[in-house]
Amino acid sequence: MGGAAPSGRHVLRQAIRGQRRDVAAGAALGAGHQAGEALVPVLIGVLIDQAVAGGDAGALAGWLAVLAVVYAGLSFSFRFGARAGERAAEQAAHDLRVRLVARVLDPRGGAENGRLPGALASIATEDAKRVGAVAMAVMSGVSALTGLAVGAVVLLLISVPLGLVVLAGTPVLLWAGHLLGKPLERRSEAEQERAAHSSGVAADLVAGLRVLKGIGAEAAAVTRYRITSGESLAATLRAARAEAVQSGLVLALTGLFIAAVALVGGRLAVQGDVSLGQLVSAVGLASFLLGPLEVLSWVNAELAQGRASAARVAAVLAAPPDVASGAGRLPAPVRGAMRLRGVVHGPLRAIDLDVAPGEVLGVAATDPADADALLRCLDRRADPDGGVVELDGVSLHDLDPAEVRTAVLVAGHDADLFAGTVRGNVTSADDSADDSADDSAEDRAEDRADRAMAAAGVAGALPLGGETPVSEGGRSLSGGQRQRVALARALAAGRAVLVVHDPTTAVDAVTEARIAAGIREMRRGRTTILVTTSPALLAVADRVALLDGGRIADTATHADLLRRHAAYRAAVLA
Amino acid sequence: MSTRDLLPVATPARTRSAVRELLRPHRRLALGAFAVMVAATAIGLATQPLLGRIVDLVAERGTQDGGAAALTWPVTLLALVALAQGAATTLGLALTATLGETVLSRLRERFVDRALRLPLEQVERAGSGDLTARVTADVSQVADAVRSALPELARSVLTIVLTLGALALLDWRFLLAALVAVPVQAHTARWYIRRAVPLYAAQRVAAGAQQQQLLDTIGGAATVRAFRLEDEHAGRVSRLSLAAVELTMRGVRLVLRFYSRLHVAEYAGLAAVLVAGFFLVRSGSASIGTATAAALYFHGLFGPVNTALVLLDDAQSAGASLARIVGVALPETDTATGTETGTAPDTTPVSGAGPAVLVSGLGFAYEPGRPVLHDVDLALRPGERVALVGTSGAGKTTLATLVAGVHRPSTGSVRLAASPGWERADRADRVVALVTQEVHVFAGPLAEDLRLARPGATDDELREALARVDALAWAEALPAGLRTVVGEGGHRLTPAQEQQVALARLVLADPPVAVLDEATAEAGSTGARTLESAAGRAVEGRTALVVAHRLTQAESADRVVVMDAGRIVESGGHDELKAAGGPYASLWEAWSRTHASAPPDPPVSSPVSPPSI
Repeated sequence: MGGAAPSGRHVLRQAIRGQRRDVAAGAALGAGHQAGEALVPVLIGVLIDQAVAGGDAGALAGWLAVLAVVYAGLSFSFRFGARAGERAAEQAAHDLRVRLVARVLDPRGGAENGRLPGALASIATEDAKRVGAVAMAVMSGVSALTGLAVGAVVLLLISVPLGLVVLAGTPVLLWAGHLLGKPLERRSEAEQERAAHSSGVAADLVAGLRVLKGIGAEAAAVTRYRITSGESLAATLRAARAEAVQSGLVLALTGLFIAAVALVGGRLAVQGDVSLGQLVSAVGLASFLLGPLEVLSWVNAELAQGRASAARVAAVLAAPPDVASGAGRLPAPVRGAMRLRGVVHGPLRAIDLDVAPGEVLGVAATDPADADALLRCLDRRADPDGGVVELDGVSLHDLDPAEVRTAVLVAGHDADLFAGTVRGNVTSADDSADDSADDSAEDRAEDRADRAMAAAGVAGALPLGGETPVSEGGRSLSGGQRQRVALARALAAGRAVLVVHDPTTAVDAVTEARIAAGIREMRRGRTTILVTTSPALLAVADRVALLDGGRIADTATHADLLRRHAAYRAAVLA
Repeated sequence: MSTRDLLPVATPARTRSAVRELLRPHRRLALGAFAVMVAATAIGLATQPLLGRIVDLVAERGTQDGGAAALTWPVTLLALVALAQGAATTLGLALTATLGETVLSRLRERFVDRALRLPLEQVERAGSGDLTARVTADVSQVADAVRSALPELARSVLTIVLTLGALALLDWRFLLAALVAVPVQAHTARWYIRRAVPLYAAQRVAAGAQQQQLLDTIGGAATVRAFRLEDEHAGRVSRLSLAAVELTMRGVRLVLRFYSRLHVAEYAGLAAVLVAGFFLVRSGSASIGTATAAALYFHGLFGPVNTALVLLDDAQSAGASLARIVGVALPETDTATGTETGTAPDTTPVSGAGPAVLVSGLGFAYEPGRPVLHDVDLALRPGERVALVGTSGAGKTTLATLVAGVHRPSTGSVRLAASPGWERADRADRVVALVTQEVHVFAGPLAEDLRLARPGATDDELREALARVDALAWAEALPAGLRTVVGEGGHRLTPAQEQQVALARLVLADPPVAVLDEATAEAGSTGARTLESAAGRAVEGRTALVVAHRLTQAESADRVVVMDAGRIVESGGHDELKAAGGPYASLWEAWSRTHASAPPDPPVSSPVSPPSI
């Protein structure tokens, strides 16, 4: 990354330049293929003229051999040219995909602002593919232009007037087809959008199957779907009919054009200006030239799509990071003293807070927005607008966000699990085993995972324990199971400072109390901040800070706060 | 969850007969479309002989006078052919599209109809992804085929067949010469399909894996950063993307080898036709124009042959998708009733004044040999509100889904009595409604979502229902009020609002029996209180079974039923059980120790030691 923010044009050019060898080879070979394809109708004319009309067996054998050579050449160049082009397209798309994911995962954040995950994933697949496809389009464009040039030269050599008719006629023909088709096309796009609606509705109803069944609304849903489907069908048919008219128009225009070429060519042949074989070649070329011209309009469309996709890719790559990088280092080992002074951020107004090394601090926020803002400042997802957050006396602002997170882990209540097993998820963030290669470090990591799973109450909740498979996003687990596995992962990570946010909202009271004790036990001697309104968790904290109206209103034990503050009682007790 | 019983997939024979079944009502349209397409193709094939005629005229007349005038009529005919072909093709394509789209939309309607009536148990066994994939990926695959691949394929095949016929009309020896190419093409096509089918299946798997990983990684980017998993995830994406690229390139190399072989066939056929022309012209059996027409015919076949062979592939994958759709939409044993027979609880009216819900000897196992419920007996009086209490894994949710009729009991029975006043004929089979924490807001206006529960409800009725669950204020404050588009792609509701919508639907559906499961669990404590009172009002006047996660829900219930390890261990009023010193009393103690409104006793020493159970 670094350097100036890339524009769409820049991304596009870079993608092609990155594959320039394949693109150049593909274009050269593709040109050879198109030249060969242009020569086939010419050779048919020559064969009719020289061999068939004259009854010359030697000429027949000779020209068939030439045709064979042309075929061998066009076949070879097509095969290896297209291969190079496709490779360039795929490789360019892959490179972009990797860059996009790297940008999204960048510790400084910022790429997801204003974009849904689905939209970002689609940019990394569909748009990356479209940008890559431009490499293939450029190559095809060069080939098609070559085909056109060869055809044009041959036609003009046969006869200048005939050549001019064909060369002037083909673009006019395509343009006319395009012009006539345009209003139809526009209408058809609008109709297709409406038609696609019914697929969307069907998918949505199926996604809500359990809800429909729960209230017995299956019949109502089916009735509603039939109405949508009927409207969609009508729209689809209008679009399909418009397309049929367009296809028919293009076909008729092409036929009329061939008739015109035959008329002009025939007259020239009757006058003796062109030979019989040249007439055949000209007619053959007239229909051949439509091919490369169609390819050119396809290339145009691909380039337009590629540009639009490249702009979307560039917007992600150039998304401003939430925080700047930093060059400072944390002292080793990290003791885990957190100090906040006058922190102003979003709804937070001048937060002062000290957390001693090894302390378990509860933070109860009367407004969830306050808690979110505080959490964002603690692992430097955001820099406070005013004030300072320090870890062991070093301002987080001077540290790279990646460096901050080697010591501070903020485990969000909505933390995602990843595909794999429960144990795989739990051990994934424990990087202590990476540092030393020996087995005992690994054993310790496994042991830590077991203790973390026990502390978070994972074991009892899952029939297969740690070996339970986890699907994408953890959707194969229930809300409560997900929450406990995520907590176990946070505990197993073993960071110097652990901040957990509402880790037990989907857990019953008995289990919650057990988990609270488990967290305390597992984090013994290390700084832990529990941001929650759960009384079971707050009760195990050494001290609890009451965050009310954007300020720390009081800091005391859970019991004292209960006695002293109505706001605390309201937030904590249901 | 260990074994996946995917939803049924139709056999090829069943798929064919289902397509015939779908086509049957449109037989005349199908015949008409076919006839017009044949006519359009045949008209187009007059072009080459007319061009040949022009060549002949030139060859015969040489440079004599009047030669130019003789060209007038074949050229005029060429123009007429072009116009007629254009018109016929337009009509043919329009008819084909009408047929294809109509059948497709009927098939989709059948699919939705059947899918929504599938027993939930079956859908869950298969994994909901299976059904979703069928209604999205498979339906669009088939739609694409109907829209583009099939008409193209039909046109190509017609062109090939009729061109070969036209060659035979010119002279049967031209046909023989052209057929030289067929063995090569046939062999190539077989060679290709054999390799392409498994390769493309692998490609789809690789593309799916890559897509899933991207969604997993990007959707969880915040978590990835927090836990410093950036390198691991970038590596995963890169590996899967490279694997997909590698498979795509294998496919590309295969297709290109396929085209190379087709080039050989093209050359062989073209050379044979030209050689045949040479001998036929020399022996005087054919004119130069005829030989020209034959060569042009054959040259004109290149495109359609390539198209047809490539589209065979699309047609195959569309066929696989169709089989998966037909498997659900038109299963072999089509139970014409379409209701989930056997899953719905027995609703034989228990005698007039008896219980509203009667559970007796109920046992259930998700997997054979691992029962999660044992011999449960429970009776709910009409209008009674019962709270189900117990630790996680005690079987509360399972019992709730069995009462709601989602699962079939392994042993014992659930009987529901139609209560007096429940006489709405349109939903007589729906005595019990279930609201779970799994919420879904249907895409579209909020009012339409609510009307799913009571079709034809007036706006006032909707408002009344929303007001009852405390949701009217925010609903009317939405950008377009009740007409605001919500759900996928629309205005995003908060989880608590979604839950309120679910409760409003329950009010509108107005069932005599309601089962509520964890409906308040994920709302956080402040939201939970609002939802709790909303839920309370939603079940007012109904017999209700409430899975209680917060014991305040139990406190306000008429009766508390405590479950442990799949059995009912205690049942009675809140106060009564609290005093009894049994399992409920210790649950209540754990709950109130942390939730006591004010510390009446000496302040709890911190840290609190956990209750040992």
